[in-house]
Amino acid sequence: MTIISIGRLLRAGNAGFVVGCRVTQLDAPIFGAMVQADLEQDYRIYGLVYDIHIDDDGLVRQLVIAEDVDENVIADNRFNRNVPLEISILAIGYCQNGRLSHLLPPRPPLSLDSIYLCDQEELCKFTNAGHFGYFRHILRAENLPIEELLAAHLQQAQLAHVRYGDPTWIERASQELITLLRDNYPLLMNLLGSLRDVMITA
Amino acid sequence: MVVDLLQVREQIKALGESAVVRHQRLKEMRELALMMLRNPALELERLQKKALLIMHNFDPNLRCALPVSVGGEFLSVGSSYPSPKFFPNATILAVDGSQIPPDRHAEVIFGMINLGAIELDTTSAEAPNVSINSRLFYDEELYTESGFITDSRLALIRDLSERQRLIELAVNAKYPLISLTDGPLELWGAREGDLGSDFNKSLELYIDILRKLFTLNVVVAGYVDKPGASLVVRLLEIALIEEGKIKDIKNYYPLRGLVDIDLFRPFLGPGERSTVFALQFKTASQYRDELALHFFYLNVGGINQPWLARIEIPAWVAKDNVMLDLLHAVLIHQCNIMGPRPYPYLLHRAHEAAVVSIQEKEQITQMISMELRNRGLAVGKISHKQSGKNLGGRTRYNGGKLLP
Repeated sequence: MTIISIGRLLRAGNAGFVVGCRVTQLDAPIFGAMVQADLEQDYRIYGLVYDIHIDDDGLVRQLVIAEDVDENVIADNRFNRNVPLEISILAIGYCQNGRLSHLLPPRPPLSLDSIYLCDQEELCKFTNAGHFGYFRHILRAENLPIEELLAAHLQQAQLAHVRYGDPTWIERASQELITLLRDNYPLLMNLLGSLRDVMITA
Repeated sequence: MVVDLLQVREQIKALGESAVVRHQRLKEMRELALMMLRNPALELERLQKKALLIMHNFDPNLRCALPVSVGGEFLSVGSSYPSPKFFPNATILAVDGSQIPPDRHAEVIFGMINLGAIELDTTSAEAPNVSINSRLFYDEELYTESGFITDSRLALIRDLSERQRLIELAVNAKYPLISLTDGPLELWGAREGDLGSDFNKSLELYIDILRKLFTLNVVVAGYVDKPGASLVVRLLEIALIEEGKIKDIKNYYPLRGLVDIDLFRPFLGPGERSTVFALQFKTASQYRDELALHFFYLNVGGINQPWLARIEIPAWVAKDNVMLDLLHAVLIHQCNIMGPRPYPYLLHRAHEAAVVSIQEKEQITQMISMELRNRGLAVGKISHKQSGKNLGGRTRYNGGKLLP
């Protein structure tokens, strides 16, 4: 298993947390990726990346309106300067004493805890446990692009399940989402549209 | 208490009325000064002799520009030189420093000098190297021969440390090497009284550092943004004074109010520099031969948006046209990076690396306090005066919630 660190924790709550990272680490996390925070032995928190954003500052604002920006100036701003780069994560479950749960984690991670990308095996293990209980957390997050987040997650999870010999996982996941959203027609339609794109690209 | 705005309003009205008259007076002075500056008949050799005579006999503190001669011929003081067209292939080194002066009202008394250095190879696309050197002043280090360390003494140490850092980095750098520092090249500090001996020692060290930079063949420059000096203006005042009245030079300021950039702004186009002048000041004799300080004005602004900086250089750069052109090209390129508010990018970055925030100062205070407590030592308390200043502002009652 290759452990890929995506950064360290900046701030957290039970429902989610924010990770800060260097630009050099930015190629690892992608929208919808599942990540984990190993807090202590036998306690791990899982989450989904729902936003990656880069803040500006006075110098960057000034540089963007200059006529030409040299390569070394771009590199300086990306690698040397303390430009905040934050990854927001939605908590979707945890694992304690070897038992996976799709409930919210009892305790959030702490400042500067390392956050890692889950590998495909871990992704399959978490998404196969229980009966898609973690979808609740995503569907409840009204301020997030729910359809896009679900689509990105399903796409990545499906790739992992196909690799580990379970190509029908996506059908079960889609069926569960249809059931959960049966009373929310607009969201269901948007989600189905997004899922169609997942099927095309998967 | 608040400011009495009614009183201030009256004064502002008076200010506005005199500003109109002042504006007209300055305009007339500028026209006269410009005419003199661009007059080919201005006898520069005679003017230089006159200025030196004044400095030796009547005003040893005379601070002004002096015309420069190359091969026995004086450079026209009203000339302008366009920006070189080549891309500057060089290493640029910028160093800046900041300091935390000791605060006797704080719970622990300490000082700090923080240096930020940045080194960029213009031929490479890689990120420049940034380094930070932090030095804490504590206990005995807070005292000098003349007593408790002053803000100006700390600033002097900071200036020297900046130049020392330049040498450390210059030794292993790729050449040609251009070093930039913010502000004048002349070492500043109190020269009188008890502080005088401190300053003289520092000046000796500084001269030694400059000599090493000369030996290393570094293109050294000090960048003065928005300069307010009247060095060339003072030279023109010397030209204006009648020979028989030069003993009264200390009270002779017919162009008072005019600054050098008022003179150069109208005729330096984008990227153009003025001619090089020698700098006459009280301790100029300490900066001998190749170390003698010179300067030129540089328009780093764009079309219809002139922005002038004064660039101070030592004689070894002033006399070498290749170095001068390289420096000129580097400064224009560096300033262009910053877009509409031109200033050398690397100097800005060195400053950014050097600056100590209030939060960082607070953190250092806590670290020192914790170290002392861990060793069973008592830590001082913040003064009551400071404590009073730290009190929060007035708050409003709002449904039981305190507004920030």
